Amino acid sequence: MNLLKKNNSQKDINLKHLTTSSTNSLPQKINPFNIRILTRDFFSNPLDTTLTVALIFISILGSVNILEWLIYKANWNIVTKNINLFIVGSYPKEYSWRPISWLLIILIISITTLYTNLFKSRRYLIWIIIIPLGIYLHSGGLGLKPLPTDIWGGLSLTLILTLSSGAIAFPLGILLALGKQSEITLVRFVCKIYIEVIRSLPLIAVLFFGQLLIPLFLPMEVEINRVSRAVLAFAIFAASYIAEDIRGGLQAIPKTQCEAAEALGLSKRQIFFQILLPQSIRTALPSLTNQAIGLLQNTSLMAILGLVELLGISRSLLANPEFIGLYLETYVWLAFIYWIICSIMSLLAKKLENELRINQAKE
Amino acid sequence: MLKRLITGLTTLAMLTSGCATMQSSRSSRLDLIKKRGVLVCGVSGKIPGFSYLNTQGKYEGLDVDICKAVASAILEDPNKVQYRPLTAPERFTALKTGEIDILSRNTTFNLSRDSIQGNGVTFAPVIFHDGQGIMVSKASQIKNINDLRSRNICVGSGTTTEQNLNDTFQENGIRYTPIKYQDLNQVVAGYLSGRCSAMTSDRSQLAAARSSFSNPDRHIILEEVLSKEPLAPASIGGDQKLSDALRWVIYTLIATDEFGINSRNIDTKLAIAKSNPNLSSLRRLLGVDGELGNKIGISNNFVVNIVKSTGNYSEIYNRHLGPGSNVEIPRGLNHTYKNGGLLISPPFK
Repeated sequence: MNLLKKNNSQKDINLKHLTTSSTNSLPQKINPFNIRILTRDFFSNPLDTTLTVALIFISILGSVNILEWLIYKANWNIVTKNINLFIVGSYPKEYSWRPISWLLIILIISITTLYTNLFKSRRYLIWIIIIPLGIYLHSGGLGLKPLPTDIWGGLSLTLILTLSSGAIAFPLGILLALGKQSEITLVRFVCKIYIEVIRSLPLIAVLFFGQLLIPLFLPMEVEINRVSRAVLAFAIFAASYIAEDIRGGLQAIPKTQCEAAEALGLSKRQIFFQILLPQSIRTALPSLTNQAIGLLQNTSLMAILGLVELLGISRSLLANPEFIGLYLETYVWLAFIYWIICSIMSLLAKKLENELRINQAKE
Repeated sequence: MLKRLITGLTTLAMLTSGCATMQSSRSSRLDLIKKRGVLVCGVSGKIPGFSYLNTQGKYEGLDVDICKAVASAILEDPNKVQYRPLTAPERFTALKTGEIDILSRNTTFNLSRDSIQGNGVTFAPVIFHDGQGIMVSKASQIKNINDLRSRNICVGSGTTTEQNLNDTFQENGIRYTPIKYQDLNQVVAGYLSGRCSAMTSDRSQLAAARSSFSNPDRHIILEEVLSKEPLAPASIGGDQKLSDALRWVIYTLIATDEFGINSRNIDTKLAIAKSNPNLSSLRRLLGVDGELGNKIGISNNFVVNIVKSTGNYSEIYNRHLGPGSNVEIPRGLNHTYKNGGLLISPPFK
């Protein structure tokens, strides 16, 4: 009897739900705390109820344990005592304002880009200037004391690697994508070979080549610092992927646009820079964002090739007798930093996507 | 077309490699280090007591002090060192390609690494006599390697440790499952998480790892020693000037230990040597008489420079591995021969 009633009431709800959804074709916002819907979705029969209760129990237990570990059990000394090392590596204390101020500038520019309309027209220029500024602040010269690259480290090195290799890889990728469409056979052939060869190599092999084999081909006196070698290796690798992303964007543009532009008498350069490139970048933007985030995370591979970027410095600190065994704390902390940076990157990309879409609508 | 391209590329490769070898035969890396003003030293950066980063962001440890001693001998300044953290598989490549000048990274001295057919490096004298051991938890009731039959053993891959483990267990016909990790810290983490019933590594490293456990007395290191592991720094093969300098820097640390010369009494010893012409061996050692330094391409007072910057072998050992340090390892074979150990230096003549 009871069961029958329950079924009936359930039918009622279902019916109501149906009628509301049929009268209004737009998806309605469901109040997540609506008791009736909650009961319908989670406690409709004994199996559902047991599952729901069990899951709630497990997740409460899990989060209590995790919180307890985060707050009471974890020994955050390795992070608090070494925060400077995580941020700037072994950079000397008296000069560490240089990388730190660079990081702050990046943060400020990210926030203004995301939430304000300041310098909107010159924003791209500012973002481009950031990279040489970072290299200048780190390496010195022109009034600042020159400091060698081997003391760079931590978060600032991770960002230097990501940004500068991205800055080289992006135009290189565009050139390759363009070259692959070229009418000159040799150019097309070379670009194709480049992309195919690099894409068939694992990144770690390219990095190994850059770090360990390049010095073999150079005479003993010539030494290129390892940061530039790493940046070049990353750029060479990322360029082939970016080229393919851009090519995908180029192919999405109907051929008629080119023909129309030609009919209007635009030059080849105008067609490329004003019609093809902006549209293809807009189309390729989601996958380019993917590349950028991947590039950031790939820089952690340099830890096994001896650069002390975020992961590298953590591994060295873990060998300090004072902090042995604090793996979990260190890696949770690293995950947190990487998550913050990647979130900022994807927010920026989303913002850019929106702006480009607005521009498109205006056109 | 393709054929021509390949021929061209091969010629280019041969030319460049030809250049590289010609360069290295003409000049020694010792001169390059002096010209550069910096010694590039390959370390692990991840071994407690031997090399690790301290909270100031500086490298510390026994291996690091060897780099400092070499820098103070060649460049007269222990701080003119650039440290390259290296993993075990890439260390010899780094040495061979000239990425680093010397390798001071817990490296076991053996024939195939020394030979031209093998890794082709030149080893300096042994700075730490070690041996491979096995650590198990007391609760596991494992008493010897026979008890490890068909158990999991955590081991670092690509090291002599892995080979020794295999050799010993094959010899005794014991089957086991190796669980391989990339570096020692991961081996320790694997062992502590219960992934394996035993972990193996050099006994010094086992002791270092154990001292960091939350309850060290629950783990024992088995009596059996699987190998002898003489750890020595190395330089590239075929560069006699650099390897001589490196060799005699190590001997300096041992010889000053034998003579009882340390960083605290070096000035008085030097004054005694200068005022007393009869103490010929002390005078030669401290560079008052003779041209010993010049013969190996470094300054004559290199012994004084080294002792002033890093101290003698005992001082270095006690600082990083001695009693009271965070990673205490009984000195055992690493005493000088006068104290029943294996360290000995040929005469400075």
